[in-house]
Amino acid sequence: MSAPLLEITGLSKTFGGLKAVDNVDMALYSGEILGLLGPNGAGKTVCFNLICGVYRPSAGRIRFDGRRIDGLAPHEVAARGIGRTFQIVKPFAALSVLENVLVARGIRRYGRFSRMWGSWRGRGEKEAAMALLERVGLAELAGRKAGLLPLGNLRRLEIARALAVGSRLVLLDESFSGLRHEEIARLEALVRRIREDGVTILLIEHNMRVTMGLCDRIVVLDHGRRIAEGTPSEIQHDPAVIEAYLGTKGKRHAA
Amino acid sequence: MSAYVITIATLIVIYAIVVCGLNVIVGYAGQISLGHAAFFGIGAYTAALLATKGHFSFWGALPLVILISGLVGLLLGLPSLRVRDDFLAITTIGINFIVEAVFLYVPFFGGALGIGGIPRVMLAGIKLKGAAFLLLCLFFLAVVLAVCWWFTRSWAGLACFALREEEQAAASMGISPVRFKLTAFVLGTGMAGLGGALYAHYMRFISATDFSFPVSITLLAMLVIGGMGNLWAPLLGAVILGVLPELFRPIVDYRMLFYTGLLLLMIRFQPGGLLGEGSFLRRRLRLKPGRAAA
Repeated sequence: MSAPLLEITGLSKTFGGLKAVDNVDMALYSGEILGLLGPNGAGKTVCFNLICGVYRPSAGRIRFDGRRIDGLAPHEVAARGIGRTFQIVKPFAALSVLENVLVARGIRRYGRFSRMWGSWRGRGEKEAAMALLERVGLAELAGRKAGLLPLGNLRRLEIARALAVGSRLVLLDESFSGLRHEEIARLEALVRRIREDGVTILLIEHNMRVTMGLCDRIVVLDHGRRIAEGTPSEIQHDPAVIEAYLGTKGKRHAA
Repeated sequence: MSAYVITIATLIVIYAIVVCGLNVIVGYAGQISLGHAAFFGIGAYTAALLATKGHFSFWGALPLVILISGLVGLLLGLPSLRVRDDFLAITTIGINFIVEAVFLYVPFFGGALGIGGIPRVMLAGIKLKGAAFLLLCLFFLAVVLAVCWWFTRSWAGLACFALREEEQAAASMGISPVRFKLTAFVLGTGMAGLGGALYAHYMRFISATDFSFPVSITLLAMLVIGGMGNLWAPLLGAVILGVLPELFRPIVDYRMLFYTGLLLLMIRFQPGGLLGEGSFLRRRLRLKPGRAAA
């Protein structure tokens, strides 16, 4: 198998005495959808934030495309080409939907002082941003203020921005939570289309059904540890996973 | 135009330039500053010292003044911009008091006597005064407005809007919060420095109280009344708060009361300012809804 696009080895993060992420290994290969699954408090979001640079790992390494990215600030991780969404959506509320995507399109400008003084109002930029909006199905809302959009559309907007930043890898942080059934189905179709376009996806989810349906492989975390890894059907029958989610007979799962 | 009107107009234009700088920091980048008068003062004192002690001409000193104001902005911005919201507000108030105290107590800056004998601006061998100086100020206002306009269209400006709206999301798009906040801060303090230089050469005598904390509040009030983030807000705000005190001269004792009432009414009924989204002025003039900057 070829070298992984994203490789995590021995990743740990402690907050005081709490081991939020404990010695986790994980590899993400080009073109796949990897699910990061686990009950609430399992350390999924901390893991995610370690990759994105929001937290600095206590131990372990993260490599993207062979280069280390652990310890970088969030804007530096983004500059390497990793796009992300937020579980609690974070639109630029006063800007239009189109401008939201344009901000993300500037990823190649913000790192160099000499490149940040050009205009973002050019036609080429607008067309590229519109193409991204079309990909996620928001083209007709381009002129709308982002703050006025309902949650489902904001999730799509977040994906459009993430795609502008990470043309190879996007991390989706619970993009499906709080949505209606039809919206979930449409968003699932969108994620599949994105993968078909050659983008690798790391999906954090606690919705079992969505994860099982979408992912090629799944890594399950519980109490910060990796307790299982495999295809959806393997995971479904893994006793450790069943225990983590449902508890074993006669023994209550510790909260 | 009478000398009286020209005096009022000149001061309004100078304030508008300074408020443009504040607009870059507060309106575009969303970083609250309650100490903008400090940078206005740093510009004025630098210009005054270069003119009186250094015997620089206004034109020779001007690039230095803007550079020094921007540099001091950079130095003071580095620690300040690491804190947010209320803490940033308090830090910038602190900067204002410290800078004022330095002007007041360090003999080099003239102490309580201030600095006098600042020469008039010369252009092509002519001393600029009255309407000619007003024209000079208007010229600089036009330059500053052009810079602001261009900033709102640049990637750097877009990055600042993004930071103002949602810092974490902006960082996830490659925008370094420190770098772009500082960019806005340096640009804004540089404009304040330019306004300060014009002020020093216009008043020809300056003292520390010209740049005290209440001046910062007035500058911010001008911006809020005009509409934060709007290109023309600084000019409108400076005109309104510059003209009103003159109209209400008979009730000068109640001026602060009047200001307070006006600000409260603005915040209650037109929180976006007179040029803000959905304001009565915008509706009346049938202006297009504001774009990114609004």
